[in-house]
Amino acid sequence: MIKRIFSRLLVLAAVLFGVTLLTFFYTSLSPVDAAQALAVRRFARPTAEQVTQVRHELGLDQPLAKQYIAWLSKAVSGDFGNSYNTGKPIIDELSASMRPTLRLAALALLFTALLSIPLGVWSASGKGGFADKSIYLFGIVCMSVPNYWIGFMLMLAFAVNIPLFSIMGADDLKDFILPALAVAIPTSAANIRVFRSSLLDGYNSDFVMYARARGISEIKIAGMVSRYAFPPLVTLLGQSFGFTIAGSAMIEFVFSIQGIGSMLVTALGSRDTVTINACVLVIAVIFVAVNFLAEVINAVLDPKRHTKERAYDT
Amino acid sequence: MIHKILRKPQAVIGLLMMLTVFAVMVFAPAFAPNDPEKINIMQKFAEPSEKYPLGTDDMGRCIASRLIYGARVSMSAALPTIAAIAVISVLLATVCAYIGGIVDRLFVIVSDIFMALPPFLVAMTLVGLFESKALSIVISIAAAMWVWNAQVVRTYVIREKNKPYIITCRMSGCSQMRIIMRHIIPNIFPHLLVLYSTGLSGVIIMISGYAFLGLGFETGTPEWGAMLVGANKLVFSHPELIVYPGLCILFAAAGFNLFGEALRDICDPKEN
Repeated sequence: MIKRIFSRLLVLAAVLFGVTLLTFFYTSLSPVDAAQALAVRRFARPTAEQVTQVRHELGLDQPLAKQYIAWLSKAVSGDFGNSYNTGKPIIDELSASMRPTLRLAALALLFTALLSIPLGVWSASGKGGFADKSIYLFGIVCMSVPNYWIGFMLMLAFAVNIPLFSIMGADDLKDFILPALAVAIPTSAANIRVFRSSLLDGYNSDFVMYARARGISEIKIAGMVSRYAFPPLVTLLGQSFGFTIAGSAMIEFVFSIQGIGSMLVTALGSRDTVTINACVLVIAVIFVAVNFLAEVINAVLDPKRHTKERAYDT
Repeated sequence: MIHKILRKPQAVIGLLMMLTVFAVMVFAPAFAPNDPEKINIMQKFAEPSEKYPLGTDDMGRCIASRLIYGARVSMSAALPTIAAIAVISVLLATVCAYIGGIVDRLFVIVSDIFMALPPFLVAMTLVGLFESKALSIVISIAAAMWVWNAQVVRTYVIREKNKPYIITCRMSGCSQMRIIMRHIIPNIFPHLLVLYSTGLSGVIIMISGYAFLGLGFETGTPEWGAMLVGANKLVFSHPELIVYPGLCILFAAAGFNLFGEALRDICDPKEN
């Protein structure tokens, strides 16, 4: 078990290294010259020498490989440099904008679990019935709309028509309820489907029939089935947490939250490549870490499946 | 197959919705009462009338026409994107999974790296890379999404290639190319149709997300997501302007989802 976790950690380190390489490559593809852009911002009408000077200052006259190594060696210790845009250390901006986004994602994760698990159980237990069919149809509708539009609809319903929430700013945890719901609804629509079918798989399998034949209580059987049925849901929940953080920009726009999504969009708009690199790296690290956590939880729940599912082990 | 589709109401409804979207896309100029991009400040927020069936927006543009042209803008970006995703994912996944061994392992590791970057992130970093805005949307979404589809295709191919009939083919001396093109791909084709039909609805939603963030489209393009830019200011005064574009996205995406899901039930009745 420990050995397995350790070897996965090694693979993850390699994956993260690949991520930094890929991000650096992507942002360096940009057609806009960051040095030119900064020089324009600093001197209004920069001369050729001034541009060269800025380029040297930023280290952009070095070969790409050298730039990458310089960036990576600093980034490992948490030093992402200063934003081209504001001139302030990126790490400060990042930590300030991570807080609301993490709150949003955590609350959304909670809501997703609270929606997926009971509705999944309900539709599996009444398979083919009215509830099952309604949940299925509702799921298709929710999967077919963007979460930011659901945000607008929730806002219309619960901030305008029935003024329970305020629509501007996000300070209290209460202000995150509507945005988190908007994220959670389409995500749970997909999750309910998966959880339902793995529950049905579990109940239809031989070990349940055997357990029933031995006269084991239904409560104990439900425990056995849930060990079998939860891992796919846990994987999805882990993934959706990362997707929420990466795709939070739209929800943040709707509810005027100053999170990492809006920070990234601003950086993209002004081609602030160092900020983009830092944001992408942080998001990717969270994404990988949460997925790893989901894997560990699954390994604890159902050790046998874990070995079967990893492609490296087949 | 076609017979089975026609006997399933859900598939027929989905198909009709898809056809409606395609028809609106092709015949947008015939359906639209006005020029979708014509700004008329005098007619700001006009009430629905004969000339403007759904009224006008904050720039005095005809909302109905913008919604109709929106189908054209969204679909003409979404269709090439899903085609690009399909070609890349089928090609790479089929070849790697079929060859197996070290190539397949390498493929898994590489796709793990690509999957560690959430799709939205990749597409956001890449969008705006090319001169042509439409092209940069297609490429950035394809670059972000191919790996998620390729993973699914890979499992289909592996499941298929271990079936007895493929082994028989190999014994009887079929060439590798022939096995892939004539046997594996046709046999997993229904599954691919499901994958890319539901995938298309995801792409439509993703594109609207970009337009909403102001990435990738010229300002003023009649796109459903773009029509929601700055909608925060309208929640109190003109909520209907927020509702319409979302309903259009819902209609288009739900059509592909309903059809895809019905097809899935037809392909593997057991999984239901």
